[in-house]
Amino acid sequence: MRNLLNFLARYNNLIIFIFLEGIALYMLGHGNNYHNSRIVNGVRGITLGFEKRIYNTKSYLSLHDINVGLALENADLKNRLERLSKNENQGFLSVSDSTNRQQFVHTSAEVIENSINRQKNFFTINKGTQQGIKVDMAVTSDRGVAGVVVGSSTNYSVVMSVLNLDFKLSARIKSNGYFGSLSWDGRDYRYATLSEIPQHVLVNVGDTIETTGYSAIFPEGVVVGTVNDYEKYGGDFYKISILLTSDFKKLHFVDVVGNLKKTEQVDLEKLFK
Amino acid sequence: MINSVLRFGLIFILLILLQVLLFNNIQFSGYVNPYVYIMFILLLPMEIPSWLLLLLSFATGLIIDFFSASPGMHTFATVLAGFVRPYVLRVVSPRDGYESGADPSMFVYGFRWFLSYAILMVLIHHITLFYIEVFRFADFFRTMFRVILSTIFSVAFILLIEFYRKGR
Repeated sequence: MRNLLNFLARYNNLIIFIFLEGIALYMLGHGNNYHNSRIVNGVRGITLGFEKRIYNTKSYLSLHDINVGLALENADLKNRLERLSKNENQGFLSVSDSTNRQQFVHTSAEVIENSINRQKNFFTINKGTQQGIKVDMAVTSDRGVAGVVVGSSTNYSVVMSVLNLDFKLSARIKSNGYFGSLSWDGRDYRYATLSEIPQHVLVNVGDTIETTGYSAIFPEGVVVGTVNDYEKYGGDFYKISILLTSDFKKLHFVDVVGNLKKTEQVDLEKLFK
Repeated sequence: MINSVLRFGLIFILLILLQVLLFNNIQFSGYVNPYVYIMFILLLPMEIPSWLLLLLSFATGLIIDFFSASPGMHTFATVLAGFVRPYVLRVVSPRDGYESGADPSMFVYGFRWFLSYAILMVLIHHITLFYIEVFRFADFFRTMFRVILSTIFSVAFILLIEFYRKGR
């Protein structure tokens, strides 16, 4: 006992050090659960006040760009609406059944906190469970893919940005339909990497890359970026560098996309796994 | 005693605010991320008991972690920095040794001493922080480049703040 007490007295700093580092490591190890709603509600609640202030100042400076972006998106939507109303009478459904036809719901939200300089970037948007946001919903900017919701509190949600080493997305080359896996390598916030495209596939610089919709998170055909460069990687595959169309440095208004038929697809797929 | 608690409390709050409101928002190509809050650990008095130093490091790291939504990264790196501080102080000790009751600051021991002290501490902190952040050795040299660039900027800002303190 006495020896033990002596030992403790002699190494107390080391013990405190190891203990505190243990806590830090525990937090690190559970990092993926960190953004769960409880912590979003608790800790982020305190810090969000600050973030809102910073965001207010920043948003004022970029109003012009935002307006331009919104106007463009508006025009695009009008065009799509036009096309949809023309197509209405095609297909097998003679009655326009709005419940069956709509698969995706869109909600717009504002980014109130964002980062691009870390290896695992997240951003926060100003809508949460009260506005119908759920974990695993897709987030797109006016130009393309932005991220996936990983946690939400009553009025806020945290989104894992494409610029996160843990982010994976199934994407394909629009012109020929070959799909691969898109990820970010942590280098430049403008570029992502598309891998698993076989070498017999014809790839051209400037080809559009879009989502496949296989994961039931993103709708099919959302633009991700364009091919910037490609090189042979390993024996059989290309490693394609993608210029992202979303500008994460001035991400402001985003669209949260929920898939109404997600559970149906996931449940069905589960049966065969 | 109360006086110095107040003084360091003030430094603590100012540094955290500076980090959270200003430096966390500098997003310069992903290579330069200055973390100046570590200066608080640098400035703590010489005679501080090590357990208190460790606890204060822990608290600093935890608060920064909360504000940057990063789990445990800053806590780990800062506690390590707090743990090695006595050893670093021994390594960089001035020729005449330390005076009793004097703070480890530029006013007392001069610019060159403070510079080497700051560089060593910031480097240890940043190496730990950046490698924990990527959590892989795959891009070893790129991460090292980020560490070195960020260290240069952090030390520069720390020196600026220290000069400002001296001016006051």
